[in-house]
Amino acid sequence: MKKILLSFLLAVPILGYSQSFQVNLQGQKQTAMGGAGTGVALDEAAVFFNPGAVSFLKKNGVQAGISPLYLKTAFRENGSNITEYNKDKIATPVMGYAVFGSPANRLRFGIGIYTPFGGAMHWKEDWTGKYTVTSLDLQAIYIQPTLSLKITDNIGIGGGLVYSLGKVDLRRAVPITKPNGEASTAKLKGDAKDFGWNAGIYVQTVSGVSIGVTHRSQITAKVKNGDAIFDVPDALKATMPTKFNAELPLPATTSIGLGFYPSDKTTIAVDVNWVHWNKYKELAFDYDNNARIPDTKSPRNYHDAAAFRVGIQNQTTNRLALRAGIAYAMTPVGKGYVTPEVPDADRLLLSAGLGFKASERFLIDLSFLYENVKARNETNIETGLSGEFKTAAYIPGISFSYKW
Amino acid sequence: MKSNFIYKSIFAVAILGMASCKPELKDITLTKGSADFSRYIAVGNSLTSGYADNGLFLEGQKNSYPGMIAEQMKAVGGGSFSTPFFKDTEADGSGHLVLKGFDAKGLPQIAAQADHLAVRPESGAVTLFTKYTGDLNNYGVPGIKLLHITVPQYGNLNGFYERLLPGNAPGNTTPYLDFVTAKPYTFFSMWLGNNDILGYASSGGANPADQPTPKATFTALYNMAADKMTANQAKGVVATIPDVLGTPYFNTVTLASILATVQATAPTVTAIYIRTGAGVSRAATAQDYFVLPLLSAGVIGVPTGGIPYGLHPLNPIESRWVLDKDEAAIVADYTTAYNNTIKSVAAAKGLALVDAYALLKDYGAGKDVNGVRVSAAFITGNIFSLDGIHLTPMGYSIVANEFIKSINAKYGSSIPIVDVTKYRGVKFP
Repeated sequence: MKKILLSFLLAVPILGYSQSFQVNLQGQKQTAMGGAGTGVALDEAAVFFNPGAVSFLKKNGVQAGISPLYLKTAFRENGSNITEYNKDKIATPVMGYAVFGSPANRLRFGIGIYTPFGGAMHWKEDWTGKYTVTSLDLQAIYIQPTLSLKITDNIGIGGGLVYSLGKVDLRRAVPITKPNGEASTAKLKGDAKDFGWNAGIYVQTVSGVSIGVTHRSQITAKVKNGDAIFDVPDALKATMPTKFNAELPLPATTSIGLGFYPSDKTTIAVDVNWVHWNKYKELAFDYDNNARIPDTKSPRNYHDAAAFRVGIQNQTTNRLALRAGIAYAMTPVGKGYVTPEVPDADRLLLSAGLGFKASERFLIDLSFLYENVKARNETNIETGLSGEFKTAAYIPGISFSYKW
Repeated sequence: MKSNFIYKSIFAVAILGMASCKPELKDITLTKGSADFSRYIAVGNSLTSGYADNGLFLEGQKNSYPGMIAEQMKAVGGGSFSTPFFKDTEADGSGHLVLKGFDAKGLPQIAAQADHLAVRPESGAVTLFTKYTGDLNNYGVPGIKLLHITVPQYGNLNGFYERLLPGNAPGNTTPYLDFVTAKPYTFFSMWLGNNDILGYASSGGANPADQPTPKATFTALYNMAADKMTANQAKGVVATIPDVLGTPYFNTVTLASILATVQATAPTVTAIYIRTGAGVSRAATAQDYFVLPLLSAGVIGVPTGGIPYGLHPLNPIESRWVLDKDEAAIVADYTTAYNNTIKSVAAAKGLALVDAYALLKDYGAGKDVNGVRVSAAFITGNIFSLDGIHLTPMGYSIVANEFIKSINAKYGSSIPIVDVTKYRGVKFP
């Protein structure tokens, strides 16, 4: 068994991905291929991966999928002998795509719904870092109607308008002691609706290699009049804020991808993503009442970061396709800025999956992604929280597609 | 066959994944180093006893820094640790302060909590407390000065010490230093000396019976104490004394805050008058300190003898409310001298040293601890209790960690630190 495992790991490139609160689970085929897919016209998920490739899809189709994300983080305060873990909490990023229009035509239409940013980090209510965060639920669902035009037989361009539906629920303890000796708590909850875009170009070269370049714009999620719910001692109730405003940049991503086709049955995809994280300078909360709780500006100072992805697909039989991939994502979080809601570090991703053609029209795709986030010992410059984080994530996924 | 191989491989990955579901951090090795923590004793004053909110009471005792250290020592061979707890039915102990709320001006309303006292009939003018019998590791006695540790009759003068002794006042003759060293121990902490200057400072220098212990006396006694504590080869840790002028007790009421209050109703007032320790009546300056009890005394501006109190040179704020510039200089001078003694004795005896003076200056100036902003601000600063001098459980936990770090550094041990966020600051109603 060990031998099989080893040979599997060595022989087959695997893949997956993610950075900070960016989620890269937009298509099961691509997830199984290390998250690569910018330079290939694999399926309807091209609406996300490269709108320019949509017009090259040989069939129309609709697909829906889900990737339940299980993430486990260990934390040990420096000097302590106690290791704490986040709670088991499964995040469920969903994805759905449809592509219409006659495959014979140059112009095709698509629509995509996907979750490019999110997180569900829940620590115990009395953990060491409770005054920094006890839980964060973050989700940005993008809805993207798309046009894709084949300019020539070998060049396609495409673009889509993105409507983002954002949701945030951040909780933490507040260092004000209640009469029962426990800490006060704060819950910040809000919604944001914002616009952005996604555009790409796809080229099939004479050498047989396909090339894709895409750019997904930044969307700044603006929470206006979010609910600030402070559970504090009665003597301080009147001095507490009830509303807040905040902004969170969901960064732009520029990608370049290549597709290689060593045989009729084999596709190799290689992607490089450049995520423009440098716009995430600070996380600021502007409260409606500052009598006791000042507005906060927490420095983040992220820097741009790249991810490298390689994936392979082999149409092993008429019905079965096997996929695997590997990726490496650099962290955008600099020294001193690691926070427990997103304990980020450089990470290695390994993925595998398979596609099963139940009939000419109906397909099932499965993927499994393992993310190994490097251990990181940090002292946060804002909160003073000092210790070591180590994270691993396990993400199975499934999607169903129907083609015509 | 080929697909069978691949299915097996996927299965293998899944098994591997599940087996390593919980990410593991590198193992840490715990060691006692060159020290032996099997019987740790804590020698000291109110800070060591867990005194807070102007009293010694059960909750404070349960959050004493020696208790926290002893609990952590258990990971490296530490033995049991007994604190002379008050009974649950006498949990208010000597009585203590509680925060009741804030008045319209935002001033804290602080009241005494004395429902379940542990008080015995007095002996002379000395308040006595219910006797404690049983094992003792925390020997902290509120109020004790270094000056007192060799005084045979001290057990008749301090109810907190009398409580620990088998005999009743006024018949006690055991000096404190003899009492704490009577039973063998392997490790000690000694944090003494604070009260040798605190009493002088907190009474505004106005109490003739509470003057600073002479520096030479302090040095002699400290050396003697260290000799005696280490006579049985025990290892230990000592601590310097914090800067009392950096506590909320001396920084909550200021010239500026008094002027602001007065000017709210009398805008023409521009000076506040004080009587100095030398008996001079003069305008207060920013270099003079006012004591915390003045905050709720309600005396400023109230006419006595027809003259508004504190607003005229003929009716200045009394010396007991004020630590004037010259008195403050005396406090600073003695504190520095005492601390120099403590540091040199620690070095000479090879003891671990906690620089509590530097520690509380650092945290008092404002510091973020695991997401908690702590400072020397009264009530909101999280580390000083309602009396403005003693610490909150959170404050004591920060002190405990500093002791642990010093011990570990000196003796190569790895006593784990406590989680500061498990301890409270000032309780709000």
